[in-house]
Amino acid sequence: MIELSHVSKSYNRGKVKAVDDLTLTVKPGEIFGFLGPNGAGKTTTIKLVVGLLRPDSGRIAVEGHDVAEEPLKAKQVTTYVPDFPAIYERLTGLEYLNFIGDVYGVPKADRLERINKWLEIFELAPVVTNPIQSYSHGMKQKIVLTAALLPGPRVMVLDEPLVGLDPRAAHQLKEMFREHCDAGKTLFFSTHIMEVAEKLCDRIGIIHKGRLVACGTMEELKAIDRTEAGQSLEEIFLELTDK
Amino acid sequence: MTLLTVIRAGLRSNFGLAVLKYRLFKEKKDRWLVPIIGVAAVSVVPMLYGVVLAIQNIYGVLKPMGQERALLSLGFLAAQFLILLFGMYYVVAAFYFSRDLELLIPLPLRPGEVMASKFAVIAINEYLTIAAVVLPIVLTFGVLAKGGAGYWVNAALVYAALPVIPLAVVSLLVVAMMRFINVSRKKDALILVGSILLLVLAFGLQIVMGRSAGSGGPDTSAAAIAAFFTSPNSLLNRVGAFFPPAIWATRAVAGGFTGEGLANLALLWGVSILLFAAMVVLAEKLFYRGLVGLGETTGKKRRLTRDEMSRRVSSGRRAKAAVFWREWKIMNRTPIFLLNGTLVAVLLPAIFVIMAVTNPGSGGTGEGDATALLKAMASANPVVVILAAALFMTVCGSINGTASSTFSREGGQFWISQVIPVAPREQAAAKFLHSYLVAVLGVVTAGIVGAVMLHIGAGHLAVAAGLALVAGVLFTAVGMAIDLARPLLDWANPQKAIKQNLNVLLAMLADIGVLTVVYFGVKALIKAKLGTNAVLGIVFAALVVLSAASYAALLKLADKRYPAIE
Repeated sequence: MIELSHVSKSYNRGKVKAVDDLTLTVKPGEIFGFLGPNGAGKTTTIKLVVGLLRPDSGRIAVEGHDVAEEPLKAKQVTTYVPDFPAIYERLTGLEYLNFIGDVYGVPKADRLERINKWLEIFELAPVVTNPIQSYSHGMKQKIVLTAALLPGPRVMVLDEPLVGLDPRAAHQLKEMFREHCDAGKTLFFSTHIMEVAEKLCDRIGIIHKGRLVACGTMEELKAIDRTEAGQSLEEIFLELTDK
Repeated sequence: MTLLTVIRAGLRSNFGLAVLKYRLFKEKKDRWLVPIIGVAAVSVVPMLYGVVLAIQNIYGVLKPMGQERALLSLGFLAAQFLILLFGMYYVVAAFYFSRDLELLIPLPLRPGEVMASKFAVIAINEYLTIAAVVLPIVLTFGVLAKGGAGYWVNAALVYAALPVIPLAVVSLLVVAMMRFINVSRKKDALILVGSILLLVLAFGLQIVMGRSAGSGGPDTSAAAIAAFFTSPNSLLNRVGAFFPPAIWATRAVAGGFTGEGLANLALLWGVSILLFAAMVVLAEKLFYRGLVGLGETTGKKRRLTRDEMSRRVSSGRRAKAAVFWREWKIMNRTPIFLLNGTLVAVLLPAIFVIMAVTNPGSGGTGEGDATALLKAMASANPVVVILAAALFMTVCGSINGTASSTFSREGGQFWISQVIPVAPREQAAAKFLHSYLVAVLGVVTAGIVGAVMLHIGAGHLAVAAGLALVAGVLFTAVGMAIDLARPLLDWANPQKAIKQNLNVLLAMLADIGVLTVVYFGVKALIKAKLGTNAVLGIVFAALVVLSAASYAALLKLADKRYPAIE
């Protein structure tokens, strides 16, 4: 579970408000899609949740652990995939996965099983002993995703996870999202791909200029927008963010 | 116009002017640096004064013989050789390995324009590098020789042209080499081997210079100076003949507005422009062809068997050990980090000794032979010997940038350290262990050099090593703390993280500060007529306390800074 309560974050000494009084709960077993135009505050929110940024005010908790007060407990149950796969280029893929397994304390048997499974799915097995610097952008993205899946986290936070993936990998990843949440775990991700959000997410939040302008299931969003039935998420999004 | 725009963008990104302005005037973050840099600049003044006095002295010897111009030649020659030697390294890095090429190449720019902009950035860097060599000589010479307007105007014009010829020569060679030799797969090895070769070449030259200067005996008498500058067979004249631009530069400056001055100035500028144009023309034909595929590294595809996979998947290290091994691998697999970190710790002691024993007359003590000096020292006060050896070991262990770039080296990957469930203090402890091991490597190498080449006794060496190892804790912690306070994370070229990182310089200044305090403390203790053991005991105890305190402070700082770095 992820809980944000009246969270605000500004840049440039308060001149630019990136997140403005955001309150949001992502429940266990839920795939939550976070939408918004460029610069709306999606990445800032995600970075606040994983502890890469500190909020100016408000409280964030992951699985009941306050991110500011109990950071290690919150981090132990969370994994994060950034929007750009900046990882250790001089390590091999396997060394990176071992590093992540070590710092999260993943037992060898689990480690071996998950690494084998995801390397096969993402077709990385033949290159896993090569340095990451020899990987393409998509391969780097896949190794970051494998690393994020390796600890079997309670909560996954992903920033644009589908960018750079080929259709097969994207399909497998979406199936994994479902499996992850069916096991009672939480998944929070941002995306610009409306169809993915519409089909995959249990609930969707739309952020605009740092404020949460809508949040709920597809049905609830349609009701909020007060527009005629049958409207797509894209139309709702455009309507809500055109202000 | 396009060219100027590209050059301007290159300069801005290379020198981080926009970032500096933002941090100084908008965020007001780095203002505390201004007085520190001021103090550093002031502390250079006594050294500069010494250099000016030496130049004055040499001028005084050469003037009656009418050979004072040789002094200018020495300055220009030294500067151009510096550029030739280190320019190779910069040129390869800027032309072929800098990441902004991926942005520049798709732009509607000609290859020659891209290369010219890179060239300009290197040239401006070189102006700053050679200032320390050329300016004291040109300024002192001008004042002593009462140079008129012609001298000063020509000096400025010559200074502007100085880096062009050596850099253009290097660029021509590099562009041709990159085109015809397939280095794309071995670029790491190329940087490493090239850099080591340059070091060997630079120090080989140092040895030859030393021998040439010392041919008349290890002294700095007027006769020796005169021989060095004026003998037809002296190295200066031989090298000058081999590399005439230094002679043209000398004649242009010393000649002023006379026919000789102007003709040589025209010659220098003419050849510079010609070579620059040749480089641009060659770039148009060869630059991009040498680049193709250079950014890519390929690896063989090989699937591990089930057994191999099982063996290679770690059965679980402790988090601290995992962070340590990550540091170790990344440091030693990144050529720039390896060269400026681990290898410095190993090579520096040897280089110090080579410089000392092959450069008679250095230091201006009149003693000359450094080995003899050390041998004489060994029979003097044992406190002095032990502390001098400890100082040597400490400097060899701590002068490398490993500790003071430890956080900066993570660059864009620092987010990983921030999101993993490992306490910042544990991560800092693992990083400390890595940096300290590099320092220990330096101390041990310096110890071996001290024992084998300088014949320091085992007993003295053991005590000195004890002191250096404790001091190493202090210096490692201080270096890391400085880097943690203001890590440089937004770099595209790893050189920026370690070689052009101000934190490395700040850490060196801090180390010098600590050593100065220790020096005065020891002086006071000796003056107070304390025995050898007492002096060493007090220094050791003080270092232990300071080391423990600095290590504890570092861990505390890590807990505070990790979540605050955005």
